[in-house]
Amino acid sequence: MGQGTGAAMIGFLRLLVFWSAFAAIAYWSLLIYSRSVRREALEKQWDADPPEGATDAMRRAFIEEGMSAYEGSLRRKLLWGVVVLPFLAIGTLLYLVNYA
Amino acid sequence: MRYVKWAFWAMIFVIFGSFLHYTLPQHDVVRIVGTYQERQDLNDWTSMFWSQPDDQSGTLASRDVQFIQSVRPNGRPMVYRNEDTGWRWPPYFKFDTASLQTEADDLKSNAEVPKWAVITHYGWRNELISIFPNAVGIRPVEGPDVTIIPWFNIFFFVFLGLVALLLWRMWAQFRERAIDPVLTDAGEVWDSVDARADAARDRAKGVFGRINAWLATWRRKPRR
Repeated sequence: MGQGTGAAMIGFLRLLVFWSAFAAIAYWSLLIYSRSVRREALEKQWDADPPEGATDAMRRAFIEEGMSAYEGSLRRKLLWGVVVLPFLAIGTLLYLVNYA
Repeated sequence: MRYVKWAFWAMIFVIFGSFLHYTLPQHDVVRIVGTYQERQDLNDWTSMFWSQPDDQSGTLASRDVQFIQSVRPNGRPMVYRNEDTGWRWPPYFKFDTASLQTEADDLKSNAEVPKWAVITHYGWRNELISIFPNAVGIRPVEGPDVTIIPWFNIFFFVFLGLVALLLWRMWAQFRERAIDPVLTDAGEVWDSVDARADAARDRAKGVFGRINAWLATWRRKPRR
């Protein structure tokens, strides 16, 4: 209705700011969770079948290696979906409600 | 105490349930009979049941709102408001109020030659405090007894369930990995501190014991 695009932009910016704050929290907590799950899996993998004469340092090295592999993995990158997907959802809703 | 707990959870359930019931989309099969526009005073508490389609509307005391009048298959009237939600809550991102009003005008019919339509809306109708559900979509249908599958709500509740499951898993993981080890450690540390404190107290009786005894004379005595 009688609103200029200027007012609409302010509303959009407000949404963007709120969403960014929320997405940052969601992203970081998911990242911490995901890392923790990965680390636990690596620990269990080592403990289930440790090689002959395994030391604590070897165990630590194995886990750190697994963690650095995880940091470059696709699963780790998919976490960005938490930030990206809502914008796709907003775009879809915007289309369905106003143009479909 | 048990009743307090029940009452607490019942209250949470009712508040959260009403919130979802107000916000999620619902579908009504109706016959559109008219549309109108009316000036609304929006400076009392019921303004929270109206949209703020643009930034100046937050400070306005009144503004024009469009309405869609309809009759349900059971013969009862239902009136919807037709307002932009814009970028604000609830997140329908509705900007096509004028187009929706035109579509509603196009579907007008009378009782003799009825044209039926499904109106998607959110919100509540309450005659006492004059609030209206907000129409967000309209489409013509064959007759009054069409089957409507609420796909969005199905998807929404599945998603909500998955998020709840994830939050619960995250909390369980956090507890297992971060809190429980600390508690175990704290338990062990506490025991060793306790043992060391016993030894230290015996040693320190001489110097600190005297200082403490002197300090204690300045402390307030417990009331009888």
